[in-house]
Amino acid sequence: MSSMTRLAARRFVRHRAALASGVLLVLMALAAGAAPLVEMLLGVDGNEVDLLARFGAAGPGHPLGTDELGRDVLVRLLFGGQVSLIVALITAFSAALIGAVIGLSAGYYGGWIDTLLMRLTDGVIALPLLPLLIILAAVDMSKIPFLDGLDDSAASSLYRIVLIITLVGWTTVARLVRGAALSLRTREYVLAARSMGASGLRIMTVHILPNVMSPIIVATTLSVGNIILFESVLSFLGLGIQPPIASWGNMLNNAQELIYEAPALAFYPGMAIFLTVIAFNFLGDGLQDALDPKATGHERGDS
Amino acid sequence: MTALLEAQGLSKHFAIRGVGLFAKQIGTLRAVDEVSLTIEAGRCLALVGESGCGKTTLARCLALLHRPSAGCIRFDGEMVYGDNLNKYKAIRRDIQMVFQDPYGALNPRMTVAAIIAEPLNIHSVGNRRERAERVVELMESVGLSPSLADRYPHEFSGGQRQRIGIARALALRPRLIIADEPVSALDVSVQSQVLNLMLDLQDDLGLSYLFISHDLAVVEHMADTVAVMYLGRIVELAPRDDLFASPAHPYTQALLRSIPRPGGGKRTPGALLGGEVPNPLDPPSGCPFHPRCPRAADICREARPALETVAGDHLAACHFKEAGSP
Amino acid sequence: MMRYIAGRLVETVVALAVMSFLIYGLIGLMPGDPIDIMVQADPNLTSADAARLKALYGLDKPLVERYFNWLEAALQGDFGYSRVHNAPVLEVLLPRLGNSLLLMGLSFVLALLVALPIGIYSALRPYGARDYAINFVALAGISIPVFWFALMLIYLFAVEWKLLPAGGMRSLGVDATGMEGLLDRAKYLVLPVLALSAASIGGFTRFVRASTMETMRHDYIRTARAKGLSERRVVLKHGLSNAMIPVVTIIALSFGSLFSGALITETMFSYLGMGKLIYDSILGNDYNLALISLLFATLITLIANLAADVCYAWLDPRISYSGGSEP
Repeated sequence: MSSMTRLAARRFVRHRAALASGVLLVLMALAAGAAPLVEMLLGVDGNEVDLLARFGAAGPGHPLGTDELGRDVLVRLLFGGQVSLIVALITAFSAALIGAVIGLSAGYYGGWIDTLLMRLTDGVIALPLLPLLIILAAVDMSKIPFLDGLDDSAASSLYRIVLIITLVGWTTVARLVRGAALSLRTREYVLAARSMGASGLRIMTVHILPNVMSPIIVATTLSVGNIILFESVLSFLGLGIQPPIASWGNMLNNAQELIYEAPALAFYPGMAIFLTVIAFNFLGDGLQDALDPKATGHERGDS
Repeated sequence: MTALLEAQGLSKHFAIRGVGLFAKQIGTLRAVDEVSLTIEAGRCLALVGESGCGKTTLARCLALLHRPSAGCIRFDGEMVYGDNLNKYKAIRRDIQMVFQDPYGALNPRMTVAAIIAEPLNIHSVGNRRERAERVVELMESVGLSPSLADRYPHEFSGGQRQRIGIARALALRPRLIIADEPVSALDVSVQSQVLNLMLDLQDDLGLSYLFISHDLAVVEHMADTVAVMYLGRIVELAPRDDLFASPAHPYTQALLRSIPRPGGGKRTPGALLGGEVPNPLDPPSGCPFHPRCPRAADICREARPALETVAGDHLAACHFKEAGSP
Repeated sequence: MMRYIAGRLVETVVALAVMSFLIYGLIGLMPGDPIDIMVQADPNLTSADAARLKALYGLDKPLVERYFNWLEAALQGDFGYSRVHNAPVLEVLLPRLGNSLLLMGLSFVLALLVALPIGIYSALRPYGARDYAINFVALAGISIPVFWFALMLIYLFAVEWKLLPAGGMRSLGVDATGMEGLLDRAKYLVLPVLALSAASIGGFTRFVRASTMETMRHDYIRTARAKGLSERRVVLKHGLSNAMIPVVTIIALSFGSLFSGALITETMFSYLGMGKLIYDSILGNDYNLALISLLFATLITLIANLAADVCYAWLDPRISYSGGSEP
């Protein structure tokens, strides 16, 4: 296994944009994680409202200026990064998990299970996602029996957003895994396992899933970008992560009205989103080349 | 001789459907068509035929991987029903399979030790230590050094991978091994090593084999009894020496004539097999072999010959069966 | 083939029905129901009145029953009233639908016009500096948050350079018909179309490139070249026609995301289209309107998917419609 991984790693490194993206993302994660440190160094509090210092220009003490409530922009940007990144990663992981379970069941068992699950998947894919997410976000939690623990607080908004995006985000991985499971289930080592009396569960987890890992990793990486985009749109509309918890999306919440007074406020969070998403996309591309060179058009040495 | 495995009137049909919600069945593929055979304890029954004749499907039915469409299977005298194959976890310990493709038969993400130990895990045999010991024992019995146990399949050659497959098949001490073209994908020089290993194991462990091959030279080496298949049916069934000395069915005769014999020389007179294997979705009427048969007559077009005795244990399905020389 | 289409049509209808139930249920979960809102607005209504009104409007019945009542009415053409606009739903919806289709259509055409040539060019000269540059731009297109891109466009073109309007559909006092009206409307469409196309251009370009490269790798291309055909003929005749097959499907399947993008774009530019309508009605608790407009959006997406499947089946002679069942 190590030789296959080494080969993949070498292919990945050749893809310079992907490598750069990987490095960039690590740096961003570190910066976001260092937010409390930066706070201390600058001597400011990210949540402290100071109406006398509104729209402060960039300068010592406030490297990126202050926002409409006098809060330091850089610190909020970094904390917002923490939130956006963690939410996106957790969501991507959950969605991949659900997608894998559904895809495995559909692909391995086939028959009516496959038909049912695939119709479901096709149905979700067919929906215009954003309107659906808006409804889900606007839903009154108290009307659902087991979810009424989720109130309107900011902390709950984090759980809510992970939940609703996961609810619609599993389809890509599901389709992918189903396709792979369908083709792998006729492999002889699967037949061997069946002839030994292995249970369906065992075959799916021990034989099929490990052999599907590469495309799952690629798909999940690529999905993080999309998830960040959806979370930021929802937060921008006021339906996602609620203040005072900062996320890049909700930092832009007032940006449209303030565009005449303080355009810079609109620039930084959006730029952060843009850079992060493009980095994840390049990373995913690079991973795909590294793990499965035939899938994209990047195979060299071809006529 | 006690019969270990018996199949009677076994059939496996696949329905061919069109696509879409309202698609209807547009054909039936009769992969296995009313096959009856017996495998004796401690013996090797070889199943011979060209590609597409249904031998792999038959093998998988007997390994309880496919639900038969008709007929029954008896193991050790007990009826094995085709409906819920999961009930027969216990029988699965007695019947194991070795596959053709050494590169597809082993999970590339598992170590050799894990692959060989898997049957033990599934049936909860012994504890960890005992399983490890058994893996070592098995690897040695197939001629592999146990120090290689932590390697991955892609680090081995084709012949070695086939040995791993055999070791895996032996783990539960089965009584019958169904080997589906186990050496067809190997280099000729390696083939005899694996075949001799299988013969040795048969002697040491009292195994029975169902040995599938399209290569008559290999069959001659391994088999006690030979069954010849064509388009899903058994057309000749005989003890090995009888079959090779005096084949009764024209198909068998043609197959034997086409074995390349080293040293060149003249081919024995007699027509070689002409034409192609017909489409299994649309088999010929009457005897399925009649379009290519040098002996074909009107009766062959109309009536399907049954498998009948030629002499002693020698059976053939032909209206004009004659024990002739190849 | 006909059988296939019929099957898919049935599936589409079933999918729509299931969606309608789902969306109906979801909307029912939104905070407050119409009567509660009335109660909040009118302090004179007692809870007894509220209960009476609920019974009158059938709001106290279980979900399934209410759904079927709604369905029955809807199938007869009665889609209900929009609370906020005080008009029948269809009356509000249809003009907006037209606006959205205009916006989406223009953006779609723009995306195709840009992506097809660029994607093909990129595929024919792969791995060069230009190819990487194009890939980067395409990736940027699908990575950029639409609402932010819209903000930046507004800032640059409306605030800073004052070239184009920041929002709305037309200028006041301009004659809606005639050349002047057309140009005026065009002015208001430039930024929204640009904002909406970014993601499509990016996505299509990458896909066209991948699809073309995949096709060019096939042996029949090599054969055509070996036959001595000029490179241009090889590309045009053999390569493109086959490469376009999956492109057709991808295009049709991108309808769903186009709607999502349109929702944001229309909201940002105050463009009176269906996306903005959906958004406003959901947040404004205008249930009937939200329900119907969402269903319309879903229906259009489902039809696009159906069209994609049929096109694909028709264009690709390799797909056979008879296959075996077990391996």
